[in-house]
Amino acid sequence: MNIQLTLAARYLRGRKLRTALTTLAIFFGVLVLFGMNTLLPAFTRAFQGNILAAAGQVDATVTLKTGDAFDAAVADRVAGVEGVRAVSRLLDRTINLPVDYLDNDPALPDPATALSLVGLDVAQATALHAYQVSDGRFLEAGDTDATVISRSLAELLGLGVGDGLTLPTPTGEQTLTIVGLLPPRTQLGDEEVLVTLPQAQAMLAMPGLINAVETNFEPVNEAERAAVEDAILAELGDTFQLGALSSNIELLANLTVAQGIFTLLGVLALLMGGFIIFNTFRTVVTERRRDIGMLRTLGASRRTILGTFLAEGLIQGVVGTALGLLGGYGLGWLGVTALAPLMSRMIHLDIGAPVVSPALVIGSVIVGVGVTLLAGLLPAISAGRVTPMEALRPAIGAVSLRRLTGVGFWIGVVMIGLAIAALVTRNVSVIALGAVLFIAGLVLIAPVLVTPVARFFSGLLAAVFARSGTAQLAEGNLTRQPSRAAITASTMLIGIAILIMAASIIGSVTIGFSNVLRKSLGSDYIFVPPSIAVWGSDVGSGAELADSLRAVEGVGLVTTLRFAPTQVDDTAVSLLGIDPATYPQVSGLTFSQGDSAAYDALLDGRGIIVNPLLSAQSGAELGQSVELVTPTGTQTYTVVGVGGDYLNAKLATAYISQANLATDFNRTEDVLLQVNLAEGADREAAEAGMQAAIRNYPQFRMISGQEYIDENLSIFDAAFSAMYILVLFLAIPSVIGMVNTLAIGVIERTREIGMLRAVGATRSQIRRVVLAEALILSALGTVFGVIAGLYLGYVGMTTFETLGYPMEYVFPTTGVIVALVAGLLFGVLAAIIPARQASRLEVVQALRYE
Amino acid sequence: MSVRNAILGLLADRPRHGYDLHAAFEAIAGGEALWALKPAQVYSTLARLEEGGLVAQESIEQDGGPEKHIYSLTPAGEAELAAWFASGVPTEHQRDEFFVKLMLSLGNDTTDPYRVIQAQRNRLYQELHDATARRNRADARVELAQIFLLDKSIMHLEADVRWLDLIEARLDDIRRQPLPKPQPRPRGRPRKKLGIRN
Amino acid sequence: MSLISAVNLNKVYGSGDTAVTALKGVSLQVEPGEFMAIMGPSGCGKSTLLHLLGGLDRPTSGAVMIDGHNLSDLPDNKLTEIRRRRIGFIFQFFNLIPVLNAVENTALPITLDGVRPGEAKARATEWLRKIGLGDRLDHRPDQLSGGQQQRVAVARALVADPALILADEPTGNLDTRASEEIAALLRQVANEWGRAVVIVTHDPRIAAYADRIIFLKDGAIVDQTVLEPRSYDNGQGAEMVAGKLQAMGD
Repeated sequence: MNIQLTLAARYLRGRKLRTALTTLAIFFGVLVLFGMNTLLPAFTRAFQGNILAAAGQVDATVTLKTGDAFDAAVADRVAGVEGVRAVSRLLDRTINLPVDYLDNDPALPDPATALSLVGLDVAQATALHAYQVSDGRFLEAGDTDATVISRSLAELLGLGVGDGLTLPTPTGEQTLTIVGLLPPRTQLGDEEVLVTLPQAQAMLAMPGLINAVETNFEPVNEAERAAVEDAILAELGDTFQLGALSSNIELLANLTVAQGIFTLLGVLALLMGGFIIFNTFRTVVTERRRDIGMLRTLGASRRTILGTFLAEGLIQGVVGTALGLLGGYGLGWLGVTALAPLMSRMIHLDIGAPVVSPALVIGSVIVGVGVTLLAGLLPAISAGRVTPMEALRPAIGAVSLRRLTGVGFWIGVVMIGLAIAALVTRNVSVIALGAVLFIAGLVLIAPVLVTPVARFFSGLLAAVFARSGTAQLAEGNLTRQPSRAAITASTMLIGIAILIMAASIIGSVTIGFSNVLRKSLGSDYIFVPPSIAVWGSDVGSGAELADSLRAVEGVGLVTTLRFAPTQVDDTAVSLLGIDPATYPQVSGLTFSQGDSAAYDALLDGRGIIVNPLLSAQSGAELGQSVELVTPTGTQTYTVVGVGGDYLNAKLATAYISQANLATDFNRTEDVLLQVNLAEGADREAAEAGMQAAIRNYPQFRMISGQEYIDENLSIFDAAFSAMYILVLFLAIPSVIGMVNTLAIGVIERTREIGMLRAVGATRSQIRRVVLAEALILSALGTVFGVIAGLYLGYVGMTTFETLGYPMEYVFPTTGVIVALVAGLLFGVLAAIIPARQASRLEVVQALRYE
Repeated sequence: MSVRNAILGLLADRPRHGYDLHAAFEAIAGGEALWALKPAQVYSTLARLEEGGLVAQESIEQDGGPEKHIYSLTPAGEAELAAWFASGVPTEHQRDEFFVKLMLSLGNDTTDPYRVIQAQRNRLYQELHDATARRNRADARVELAQIFLLDKSIMHLEADVRWLDLIEARLDDIRRQPLPKPQPRPRGRPRKKLGIRN
Repeated sequence: MSLISAVNLNKVYGSGDTAVTALKGVSLQVEPGEFMAIMGPSGCGKSTLLHLLGGLDRPTSGAVMIDGHNLSDLPDNKLTEIRRRRIGFIFQFFNLIPVLNAVENTALPITLDGVRPGEAKARATEWLRKIGLGDRLDHRPDQLSGGQQQRVAVARALVADPALILADEPTGNLDTRASEEIAALLRQVANEWGRAVVIVTHDPRIAAYADRIIFLKDGAIVDQTVLEPRSYDNGQGAEMVAGKLQAMGD
């Protein structure tokens, strides 16, 4: 064991540049993988505010699966279950605060972006929790407009006992008097504003409703407690669950997709790292054939040799992974810092530090070290097979891979064929598999393509460099080892392909979405709540606001959106209530099945329009029925159309009439209002009037339709620029891969270079050979990459279409041009160090090199 | 002849008498074991040198002893010595008994030339072995001259071995060629050229 | 009993039209403490013979016996073990691992055999001192001259206390002086330290150090010379040389 590590460490030290490069590749992959995956938990942790049952004597909290509100009488039913000792009824709602609501100072960051309004039954709650009041007193039954807040919130707001705390509510702004202070809040989540239950119900316009029941059981042992839980669920039915309320469930779906993308990028970076390591190790084994044979002669077993190489891989893997973890944490931290303002503005969340879960660390270590070991395994095994005799003979020359490329080539062709066939099936998972097959197929056929492509490009270069000797030498070097050139090109291929794919998807998506955007937000004015598309945490308004807007001089049409959370097939769905009469006139859905006749169909009984995402997830098509979970049970709706709007495009959303929303879900709050002015109206007067109308509803912001569209488009651009940058990140391993191959090439041909110099080649001529090689290599990678990228872009677009989003295929011209330039640049960049090394070789030393 | 020139060289160092010359010569030639010179030979060489005018003799009276003859160089002797230093020593061509043996075995049907070569090779290796052993036993601090001499014989032996390898490799070719036969010698007196009167 | 014996070894490379016979029916025996040289023109199969003796390669037919074991019957790991413990190897080039220093290189056979690093280092150091490289223990191969590298190789061949040392043209890459040093060292290995030494060489001067010379030609043994040691006092050998010189003087 010891000798293996010693040898490994010494050999690694003996070739510092290459060791650094391969370690860098692993470092990079782990950095991306780990760093990105610390971001998501940071988000989810921020989301998991309002976890109620953490302290006190609460054994379980009963909530609706949808998180919606339900009749307070449910609490009594729970209390009646055998084994339940006590219950406490709660109405708990997050109130997203508009920007600068609390401090009125745009210059300062907001102290809080959201608060939890918790209405509790004082007697019941104090039985289950011990509230330690440090100042003033706790709530008493019968209190009106009174609240108890934590010391930490009070300090944030600069308020004390006796001061007033103003909040936006559906019924207008309301002021509560602080009667007592609790100890500073230590739990995660939003600060709580405690009021009596009747107070909350009145403020939120939800009479007789609660949304959580805390319970305390009698039995102590596990089995009996589980029995009590089952009894409760049996009593209440399957619309209920035993779990804490967590806000913002709907956004988790979004973030899972983002995490998926990040993980994919990390895996790709690691894959490229694996290629680099494979190449390096293969070369190392060839270089060290003599040493290996010598060791075997001295009596080293095959396993010892294998162990030495694996040890080398292990060392690099461990170092690279460790550094990658550190760097990844830094990256996550950077990401959080960069994204926090955006997040807090859009969905009012304090993100906090990146979350490092032991599982993630272990996973990253396994993947990082694992890829390294796997990549080095094949070369290590072939090293173990070197017999002493092979080492004693002079090198027979590069192993002919002609046989291998034969089989591999045909497999690759078959893979590509399958991939293209997959496109026809229109099945998302099949298409995704096809994409992977395509890339794998390209990599396999690459070695065979190296020779003709290299020849072509060397001819091109010869024309440019005007000296065919240089280009020919470079071409010869590459075609001598086609598989090594191919693997290097493959590393680049992945980077370029992703770039082009991103470019084409972004191009298509931009066009597709901006059309939808214009249609759905095309009204003259929009009244937006603090957080869009996360309707559950917004405080809306009662019907009065809409009415007062209608009353304003110059206003033509007002249409509103209402919200209720529901579930279809156990997945969360946003249910929006629209007014079928006015909605199409001011706004509009983009239909993929059915048409605008669907709006009228909504008024007929229980019609529902599902958005393409929901349709894809649940399989619901035009004419079929879906089951919605309501606070009182399930309800069946008939699909009258499949269509969506811009705001809700990323979430499973459905649209029903506001009448049905009120009947089945008991929701009448408007969460978004859109206004069109009448013909020839006085704009300024109308604006003034509307501003006056919303003065008491600070949760809404008035913005002109065009402004809003522009705002969204700029967010789009920002998000996509971020994506471009992320993709360019992948460029780094590509460059590393090329530098590695070129450096290997230089070392291998030390004698040859010495000979060239001896017969009169100048240093700059040697440099030019290396440069030519680099350019041919990057040309290879770029060509393959562009082909793969175009294909992948097409695949991506098809996927989006299958998911129901209307897309137009846009050929990514800018993307291709950027890729070509980037490829050239990478080639030049990668050649710098190896070229310098080659030109600096001392002639005499080089000639002596064995 | 080397003894003659060596004596000249020794006298150039300083005038000596015969006994002294004998001892000095043996020492410089590598010791008695390597080159045993008879004292008589020294004196006879000295006499010849004196006759040739290269060396002069002087008699010294000794108290209570016979006369000692001291020899020294004449200017002619110095010139001769200088000429000897300046010129190269011609190589001696030896009579090679082995060569004759090999040639004979080629013509002889009952003898295998390869065996002849092998026998010679064995002998050469034995000699090489011994010379090497002797040389390695010599003390470089005091026997350096002997070591040089042994090195020379080793190298010669090595050359002989290599020559043997060469011959062995080309033996088949040599066999095909006819053996060296004596040239017919013209008999009688050489013929007079025409046109010259008796 | 002889240390190692080869019985009727044949080695053929390739097959059919391109078959090359490297060895034909070669048999020999090596006694403990014997210094044997194998010589012959290039292509005669001497290196092949050495490789077969050392278990680096397997004969097409015939057997190599070491300590009564037929090497052809042994599985690879057992062969490897024999190479670690019973045989020391010295080659013409690239004997040493470039990234290890002299002590580490010397200690390789026993380190590979599982000897603890401390003890391995001590034994290696002892051998290096014995052959006169005590002041270069931590030098890397690129800091040693060709002759010094070969001496490290000799020490390495001895560190596991093997009974047999096999050397393939150990002086082929060295100048005259270094060659003589190595040859003398190998002589010492056989005489003073009692190992059997078999070297392949084309240099007569080096072969002269041996006790016995085997001559190969076209894959078969054609001759053998046994070299008698001449003692110091027996002046015969010296007289032969002296006589030659004297003859030159006449």
